[in-house]
Amino acid sequence: MNRKIIVLVAMAMMAVFVSGCGSQNTASTSKEITIGLTAPLSGDNAEYGQSFKNAIDLAFEKANANGGVNGKKITLVANDSKADPKEAANIAQKFVSDSKVIGVIGDFTSTAALAGSPIYQKGGLVQLSPTSSHPDFTKQGTYMFRNIATQEQEGPLLADYGINNLHKKRIAVVYINNDWGIVAKDNFIKGVQKLGGEIVATEAYLPEQGKDFSAIITKIQQSNPDLLFIGSMYTDTALIAQQARKANFSVELIGTGSLYSEELIKLGGSAVEGLHLTCSFYPLDPRPEVQDFVKSYQVKYGKAPTMFAAQAYDAANLIIEALKAGATDRLSLRDKLSAVKNFPGVTGKTSFDENRNVDKALTKLIVKDGKFVPYNP
Amino acid sequence: MTLFLQQVINGLAQGSIYALIGIGFALIFGVLGLVHFAHGEVYMIGAFLGFMLVSVFQLDIFSSLLLAMLGSALIGVVVEAIAFRPLRKAPDVAPMVCTLGLSVVLQNGAALLWGTDTKSIPDAIPNHIIPFLGAQISFQQVFIFTVTIILMLALQYVLHRSKIGRAIRATAQNKDAAALMGVNIDTVIAWTFAVGSALGGAAGVLVGVYYNAFYPMMGFMAGLKAFTATVLGGLTSVPGAVLGGLILGVAENLGAAYISSGYRDIFAFAILILVLLIKPSGLFGRGIQEKV
Repeated sequence: MNRKIIVLVAMAMMAVFVSGCGSQNTASTSKEITIGLTAPLSGDNAEYGQSFKNAIDLAFEKANANGGVNGKKITLVANDSKADPKEAANIAQKFVSDSKVIGVIGDFTSTAALAGSPIYQKGGLVQLSPTSSHPDFTKQGTYMFRNIATQEQEGPLLADYGINNLHKKRIAVVYINNDWGIVAKDNFIKGVQKLGGEIVATEAYLPEQGKDFSAIITKIQQSNPDLLFIGSMYTDTALIAQQARKANFSVELIGTGSLYSEELIKLGGSAVEGLHLTCSFYPLDPRPEVQDFVKSYQVKYGKAPTMFAAQAYDAANLIIEALKAGATDRLSLRDKLSAVKNFPGVTGKTSFDENRNVDKALTKLIVKDGKFVPYNP
Repeated sequence: MTLFLQQVINGLAQGSIYALIGIGFALIFGVLGLVHFAHGEVYMIGAFLGFMLVSVFQLDIFSSLLLAMLGSALIGVVVEAIAFRPLRKAPDVAPMVCTLGLSVVLQNGAALLWGTDTKSIPDAIPNHIIPFLGAQISFQQVFIFTVTIILMLALQYVLHRSKIGRAIRATAQNKDAAALMGVNIDTVIAWTFAVGSALGGAAGVLVGVYYNAFYPMMGFMAGLKAFTATVLGGLTSVPGAVLGGLILGVAENLGAAYISSGYRDIFAFAILILVLLIKPSGLFGRGIQEKV
């Protein structure tokens, strides 16, 4: 008898919980357009997910302040994926089953984005990732879009930077052992080998492993490289650079656009001085859309936008662009988004090709006197 | 050879941190027979307190370390009062689950309070490098070793020479008998949490200074590794936790160097499994005596 009561109470609680979730959705009226965001808002990658949310909020607020799109206000429903593929899949399920949501931005990591893709594809819901640069992401279906150069584009360019511009021969690689890190490493190594460089060491680390890189650094130091490629995010890269300098290891460093953030310099200090990278976003770009974005982001959040914020800002504006072109539901959003051509984003002119990838012009940068400046050989 | 020596030095520095956190697990398990899953978060908060004291209040590293230890001790006492004391009569699983929840609350609380991004402080300790038989020891590593050794000697002194230390050891041996002898068990448990948390907080400050990174999630993996070190040492043994921590640190670094850096966590946990298979009570375990 007692057990029956407990089961009943549990079911009642679940019903309340489920309907609680539901009521959140019914609150939006037909005067609104709902876009979902799946990004790591807590956990290890929270700082990146937060910059996504900040940038998208900014873009939607601007659009809504001008009366919305075709008289409709855009609302953002943000869900925290913690960059965990299991969470990302759950969120995908939630968005797909919520008929109000007509498009989704995210996820941050390629691993989490790839976990959601089959569900979004099945539900016919646009999944636009601002940062998933894994080549396989947009091959998951016809609803996957990305607003970033793939590692197939960035890797060879970085190899060219290291070998042709910096004249390095002995190159070591350290990378984060996840989907993104592996393709970043593979494409860079492929590029290096094509240009006749030698890979003298390759070391991986797991994202959950903590922040002690001394074992890896000691090992790489033994192979005596003249250039170290770091395939990781800016926080870990700053720490790797610092720990390398502490171990008296003064190798030159090179990395991907993921390093583009003031935080890299704040955390890394003198250790990241002279670090080389390529990037799709350069805040000193005089184009008005870039200056407007940098200024309004700075005013609203009190800090300069990172490259991740810029990618997400463009993603939000691409959705707005598609809505302006007449998208009203899931299918039309996909069709209008595919048709976007030469959109003047803060990360460059953006057009989707037939595989829903973008071709971004990447700039070679170097950290000089604590600032990112274009590299001039 | 140089590589070997260098990795041992790196491993000892890392192991000292595990040891300091592990002592807290061992002390608390000793008196309560329970695992304190939020102990890693106490370490994280200790690190952030150190960060605040150095960067905001501009204190030197020694005063910051002491004050952060004091702050962590207070937090430890509060944690005990919230998560353990009300559940003293409950089945063992209740307080443990409670600390699991508390660890999530503390992680996210720290994220709210200090933000999710990684914080750093300009070198709080000068970073000179001392050549040593071809390898190199940094001044910061020497600092970690020294502080760890001093804290352990102080702990031994407190446990074996002071009244509260004797009470802690008596409670760990037999709670009921200690209570009958006039030991106030609640006070002893609160003190145990204070001492264990102070050491955890010290580890947090040391790690923050060493790696120059403070972030809300830093307690999770460190706590897990330190707990492993404690199990390795026999769960209730303070010297065991210390030795376990050092073994773990060195094993991880050697494994990363000679086998593969991508699998470094495996070495730590593989050693744990081996020890448990060969000597289930751990290196310094008391042996499990079931009450009849």
